[in-house]
Amino acid sequence: MSIEANNISKRFGQFVALDNVDLEIPSGELVALLGPSGSGKTTLLRVIAGLEFADAGTVRFDGRDISDRTARERRVGFVFQHYALFRHMTVFENIAFGLRVRPREARPSKKQIQAKVHELLKLIQLETLAQRYPSQLSGGQRQRVALARALAVEPSVLLLDEPFGALDAKVRLELRRWLRQLHDEIHVTSVFVTHDQEEALEVADRVVVMNHGRIEQIGSPEEVYNQPATPFVYNFLGNVNLFHGRIDGGTTYIHERETGHVVYVRPHLLEIDRQPNGGSHFRARIKHINAAGPLVKVEAVAEWGDPVHIEMSQERFRDLQLIKDEAVFVIPKDVKVFANHEA
Amino acid sequence: MATIFPLRSFGLASDRAAQATTEGAWVRWSLIAVAVVFLGVFLFMPLAVVFASALAKGVSVYFAALREPDALAAIRLTLIAAGIAVPMNLIFGVAAAWAIGKFEFFGKSFLVTLIDLPFAVSPVVSGLIYVLIFGLQGLMGPWLASHDVKIIFAVPGIVLATVFVTFPFVARELIPLVQAQGNEEEEAALTLGASGWQTFFRVTLPNIKWGLLYGVILCNARAMGEFGAVSVVSGHIRSRTNTMPLHIEILYNEYQFAPAFAVASLLALLALVTLLAKSIVEWKSRQQTKQQELFATRQTATPTSISSAGANAA
Repeated sequence: MSIEANNISKRFGQFVALDNVDLEIPSGELVALLGPSGSGKTTLLRVIAGLEFADAGTVRFDGRDISDRTARERRVGFVFQHYALFRHMTVFENIAFGLRVRPREARPSKKQIQAKVHELLKLIQLETLAQRYPSQLSGGQRQRVALARALAVEPSVLLLDEPFGALDAKVRLELRRWLRQLHDEIHVTSVFVTHDQEEALEVADRVVVMNHGRIEQIGSPEEVYNQPATPFVYNFLGNVNLFHGRIDGGTTYIHERETGHVVYVRPHLLEIDRQPNGGSHFRARIKHINAAGPLVKVEAVAEWGDPVHIEMSQERFRDLQLIKDEAVFVIPKDVKVFANHEA
Repeated sequence: MATIFPLRSFGLASDRAAQATTEGAWVRWSLIAVAVVFLGVFLFMPLAVVFASALAKGVSVYFAALREPDALAAIRLTLIAAGIAVPMNLIFGVAAAWAIGKFEFFGKSFLVTLIDLPFAVSPVVSGLIYVLIFGLQGLMGPWLASHDVKIIFAVPGIVLATVFVTFPFVARELIPLVQAQGNEEEEAALTLGASGWQTFFRVTLPNIKWGLLYGVILCNARAMGEFGAVSVVSGHIRSRTNTMPLHIEILYNEYQFAPAFAVASLLALLALVTLLAKSIVEWKSRQQTKQQELFATRQTATPTSISSAGANAA
């Protein structure tokens, strides 16, 4: 089912949570709402779910206006950051809840409910834990039960609010890959909220980057990473170096003084060499080298005193044989320039 | 809910820590002795005296005092007052806790203060309030008299006074509990298609049931034992507007000690049953959380892997 949100605005007292937001999500996509805390991403998700009502704007599912419908009527599956499992019910009862509360005429038989719950338990790989209580499960297991509970009612869309936020790093990684696989199998339109750019870029078909209640950019993970539309997106998706810059005949030169343009360069797009390349380059002194991990991270100080972060392959690092306090040339390979007032 | 967790032993390290923080034997024993003597003199002895005095003139006098028509009427009235006040405050308390714990609205802190009012006001004053409103010289007195409705010096007044003084018990017990539990489970129930009532009965109520039971037990004990407020509105009409505490006072003032203590022993018995019920409720709810915590720690201690499992899911 496709989701359409038009001109959504929402305030909490003086705080503007959503400022005229437009968003269209085609049927069957897995979309990430990405932004820092307070950017309005969770509010947008809750407005789509019907747990929060917008001050202005409409929400449509498959073209039908459902802005006035309650969460109960919208038939969305919602997964909460802290699972929100019913603590006095077993895993089985939790998953069966959505089926049991249906009106008598629409309620499946006991046998059908049992079959459905077992099917879902199999899907989340927790068949043996059906009789456990939520407090007897690990965080990752709880979140999978929450997901199964949401899927039991065969929701039109699946909404996940920071689903991996409360989990430790390793479980998080496993669970988000599992979610991606699950989505490839069941194809229900899904939206998940996250503040973790890595998570959004890895899992989602499309990423919606939000800031201050507005959408900064919508695009595939590749697009938002490689062609950021605004300085905010560039900044938020990965590490970045900021320099003053001057554009001269199509070439960008990095400058030590205020110029009206800000140059954004990702650390892996800065190269270190012992000779100048004649074009755009500047001098720097190596301050710190961290060679642990797939990339070598070098911290240097530019000739005008600002810190510069550079990343290079282990191979390149071995070739260069850099040492601390060495003076080198830094050559930007690819830069992005924004006028100063944008940043 | 006042919960006292038993001290657990953590092996050698904590034994050594215990040694470092403990006092000499004579200090410990004299402190224990002071506590025991205090409890004995102020709690245990009076309780023993009640039962001893009640049975001082033999078992037959004891049961005669309880079978006497005035006593039976007092017991019946006490049961009626508690039987109305407790369910009313149960419903009110749950509704108030639900509203205060789950929602934000204008005047919320005022409502909380209002709920506490019966705790702050002396019971005698609470009784007087009703006399001043419903009494013959009171605000609504003439109107009530012309419609032949009797509230003061009658059963309705006693019920009203009892409801008033036991008003905060259930609500006070539940508000912090409901607040601590938050809204997420209810929201989850709504998105799963549950109606408001289904959410309340299937999700909210089971989560607060022990707190609720605890509040009801305390509320009931107070409803049956209330003296001050009821005394003001009752008028002490024998076999008609006397509750058990009032009946005891009358008997005592007439120097009928054995019958007075016989009825008093019923109230004391009620207190003992209440304490027992309270302990069971506390033990039960603690048992539940402890067992769940135990499993929880055992679960998180075992590393679980789902990446390979997830790959061949469905």
